[in-house]
Amino acid sequence: MDIRDWAVRFSETSDADPAIGAMARYFTCTYLLDMGAAQVIVEMIDGKVYRMNIAPAPMDAYDFALRASPETWREFARAVPKPMYHGIWAASFRKDLRIEGDTLVLMQNLRNFTLQFELLRKVGVPV
Amino acid sequence: MAKHSPVVGRYVTFEVDGCEYKVFYLQNGRGAPLVCQHTAGCHNHQWRGLLEDEEITRDYNVIAYDLARHGKSDPPLNKEWWKEEYRLTADHYVNFIVAFCDALELQDPIFMGSSFGGNVALQLALRKPDRFRAVIPVEAAAYAPGFFLDVWRHPHANAAQVCASGVWDLMAPQSPDRDRWLTWHYYTQGSEAFRGDLYFYSVDHDLRDSLAKIDARRCPVVMMTGTYDYLTPPDATEQTASGIPGGVYIEMEDIGHFPMSENYPVFRVYLKEALRIIREKTG
Repeated sequence: MDIRDWAVRFSETSDADPAIGAMARYFTCTYLLDMGAAQVIVEMIDGKVYRMNIAPAPMDAYDFALRASPETWREFARAVPKPMYHGIWAASFRKDLRIEGDTLVLMQNLRNFTLQFELLRKVGVPV
Repeated sequence: MAKHSPVVGRYVTFEVDGCEYKVFYLQNGRGAPLVCQHTAGCHNHQWRGLLEDEEITRDYNVIAYDLARHGKSDPPLNKEWWKEEYRLTADHYVNFIVAFCDALELQDPIFMGSSFGGNVALQLALRKPDRFRAVIPVEAAAYAPGFFLDVWRHPHANAAQVCASGVWDLMAPQSPDRDRWLTWHYYTQGSEAFRGDLYFYSVDHDLRDSLAKIDARRCPVVMMTGTYDYLTPPDATEQTASGIPGGVYIEMEDIGHFPMSENYPVFRVYLKEALRIIREKTG
């Protein structure tokens, strides 16, 4: 899947998700998804995707980052992921996912970020 | 139309290590006592499916309590507990469970607990093999490091959500949304106790050198772990069970770290097998 198409699909799916929408206010943070062959910085403001930066430059800022191999990201995107690929905690404890940066910001937004991450099961990944 | 559940709740007050506890428990059924411990930072509603299981409660007196500081069980009434950091120790936890069983005058209870309740089940088998007919450690291991984290009660984050969503992917994606969200909801209610519970779970509990001393002939040990548990993955439980002479391990497919709460219909299949094994071993 082309990364532009993926970014549009991810944004639309996230913005329409009722569980995120139910507690969207203050879901504001900027994070990097590093999939190896593809990188994207997602900027969230009050529960909506404000910007998807699909070609991050070296100095582009974010609060926290999730980095893993393309193989791991493809496992995340299965409709029903295999054990240990079924979430960011599972994959960081048992697989090659690394969570870096200001993880307190991740924790401040954990409910909604977790829901958003699981949208990959619907929209896939661009790697 | 209104419908009453057969489950009833009561309080019992007793003393443990100088602490006065007023403890809330839910009960249903008759027969052999089956005492159930919830997971860290949670409460006894995790056992709601078992408590209303007509088949199992025909033969078992199911009792699910709230550990002190959880659910409707208060912190010690005779202490200024708010002046000390809460850290649950293996000694106090074991003493609490024995005192609870004594207070209810339970004869030969089977003890079942999940996660930090599973780890204390191993402690009971080691320390109090003659007080319990058997133990069922669920999602347990001899040692479970890595979860005693400051972030569970960091003042700059919403601790209720951090705890509830922090344990979200301890559950299997196959488990029903309704039950995963109920479990999430329970976890929003116990965040202040969660980290202190995990002191026992990840730090004070370490039986790596003691497994061979557990006598599963005196107190049968039937361990069960779900394939989606990343904290105590199946191989950790299997390794623990194999280190206990006579220990039994059952792997539970397509379920996670809160099996009784996230997907009771799947869990009960394995629980019935565990109870059958215990009947076989203890008559």
